[in-house]
Amino acid sequence: MILLRLAWRNLWRNRRRTLLTTTTMALGLTVLLVTLGLGDGSHLQMINSAVRSGSGHVLIQARGYQELGGVERTLSGQQRRAVAGWVLEKEHSFGIIGTAPRISASVLGSSSDGSVGVQLIAVQAEAEARISRFAETVAEGEFLTSKDSGKVLVGVGVARKLKIGLGDKMVLMGQGAQGEIESIVVRIKGLIRTGLVEFDQVLVLADLATGQDFLQLDQRVHQFAVLLDDMNLASPLAAAATRAFPELEVLDWQQALPQLADFIRIDDGGAYVFHFFLFMLIAFMVFNTLLMSVLERRREFALLEALGLVAGQRFLLVLLEATLIAVLALLWGMALGLSLHAYLAMYGLPLDIISTSELSVAGVAFEPIMYSSLSPARILQAMIVVFGMSLMLAMVAARRAALAGDIRLLGSH
Amino acid sequence: MEVQARKVVLRLEDVSRHYVQGDLTVKALDHVDLVLERGEFAVLAGPSGSGKTTLLNVAAGLDTPTRGRVVLAGHELEGLSRSEKARLRLSEVGFVFQAFNLIPVLSAEENAEFILLLQKLPAAERRERIRAVLDGVGLKGLEKRRPGELSGGQQQRVAVARAIAAEPSLVLADEPTANLDTETAFDLLDVMEKLNRENGTTFLFSTHDPRVMERAHRIIRMLDGRIDRDERR
Repeated sequence: MILLRLAWRNLWRNRRRTLLTTTTMALGLTVLLVTLGLGDGSHLQMINSAVRSGSGHVLIQARGYQELGGVERTLSGQQRRAVAGWVLEKEHSFGIIGTAPRISASVLGSSSDGSVGVQLIAVQAEAEARISRFAETVAEGEFLTSKDSGKVLVGVGVARKLKIGLGDKMVLMGQGAQGEIESIVVRIKGLIRTGLVEFDQVLVLADLATGQDFLQLDQRVHQFAVLLDDMNLASPLAAAATRAFPELEVLDWQQALPQLADFIRIDDGGAYVFHFFLFMLIAFMVFNTLLMSVLERRREFALLEALGLVAGQRFLLVLLEATLIAVLALLWGMALGLSLHAYLAMYGLPLDIISTSELSVAGVAFEPIMYSSLSPARILQAMIVVFGMSLMLAMVAARRAALAGDIRLLGSH
Repeated sequence: MEVQARKVVLRLEDVSRHYVQGDLTVKALDHVDLVLERGEFAVLAGPSGSGKTTLLNVAAGLDTPTRGRVVLAGHELEGLSRSEKARLRLSEVGFVFQAFNLIPVLSAEENAEFILLLQKLPAAERRERIRAVLDGVGLKGLEKRRPGELSGGQQQRVAVARAIAAEPSLVLADEPTANLDTETAFDLLDVMEKLNRENGTTFLFSTHDPRVMERAHRIIRMLDGRIDRDERR
């Protein structure tokens, strides 16, 4: 207790230095929390955007579809019903928001003004509205309903290339499941702007029945996309689905969107390097302060030794001083960092201060506002980094304190 | 033999302490033999540079002799680590430095209490003892002041209070009355004499002060690092 009292008072002997050190550490923690929050938040937004743009958190499809594609690689009607039933069973235990069957095929879209290669995605309109953002990205016209046979939504890029608009007709032509060339005339019900320029230049969204009819698929679908409340349950659900349907291909979002997963890993790696250098800078400053504080008190450590304080207690004294500084810095840094995080989580950081054009990475559109997101584990991680760093550096300074005693210093005023 | 061993608080046998300064070797202590028995009230006298402070430092294990043997409270110092010596001082020795050496962030009361806290004395006993000691050295009313708020004489009284509060078997004091006025010096000597008389605490002072020498039972006169005369009264 006396050591704690001594440590606390020692901190305030050089008030300015203590405040400067704690402020530096607190600002370091603040920067750490804000950058982690914005990093995790933007990743979360990208993942949400990606999974709501097609893949869902989990994809269940015919084996080989991810790598090879192919219109004929489908789930049979029986498999489709089995998967739908199984997903329904798991709804509560995995927090499943919704599931949607889909057809996807590369076909040719034509109008009287030309032709362009497009990606046809045929969906069950009501189910899709629950799990994807397509309904929210309608720029003109309306989203599909299950009664919209023969109607499609097209990306604004497709509309521009084919010079078509609401109510116009276009022809879709492609290879059907039987290997024959099939075609269908469809009417434009709406235009979609997803935020991904490349995607908007190829996207044609149709009702599931229209797609099945066009591609001669009967009741078959290419895949089931499952959206979850908690993306951390994607892998466990995918594993459970793999066990339930060993003949099918089950992918979690990281497997379904490998480019995005890789981007997040690389981005995290870059952030760790940035944080490492940031903390090296702070560490040197903190270390310098602690060491100076010990070296200028060599006479005092000699006195403490003369009075009977053993090396371990002198070591502990400096460690306590560093711990108190770290606790103060943590409290201050947490207050500042979490306040900024709360603001950025609520109001976000508008990206138009960086660029006014639409931004996308790894095939995923960046939302125009970046929101902060911090899990308790991330906060704990940041606290451990700051606290651990201070204590590690303090050990070196404390060792000097334990050995610093020089009796000759006690003889003079 | 056993009785005699218990009685001896400090024994220095052929102790020398030499400092090398460039080409020059300073013999701060030169073949010193000294035995201090329990209950003695002894003074180290001698001119500046005669080796008084070095002898006190060597006796307390704060400085290591170049040669010779030091036995403190039955413990041979040579074989002890720094921490073991620190523990031995904590339990057996009170030290008053020439330069006060108080802990600047602690009040007078806390400085005096410091060793008792390290000895883990119960709070009630600690408070009682500190009150008595601070009253005894004339610091009543100044308990809460920090060293920076005290005069040199008052700081020295705190240093003495710290040394005697734990009632050690040996108090080593380097010029304890050097900064005190006559009245306070006598008050301090009264307190120490009382401790010496009632508890059998052994005192060894270095001093130039004739007031201290008058009260001593034994005067050890030093010259050029050697004991020149050893008078008992």
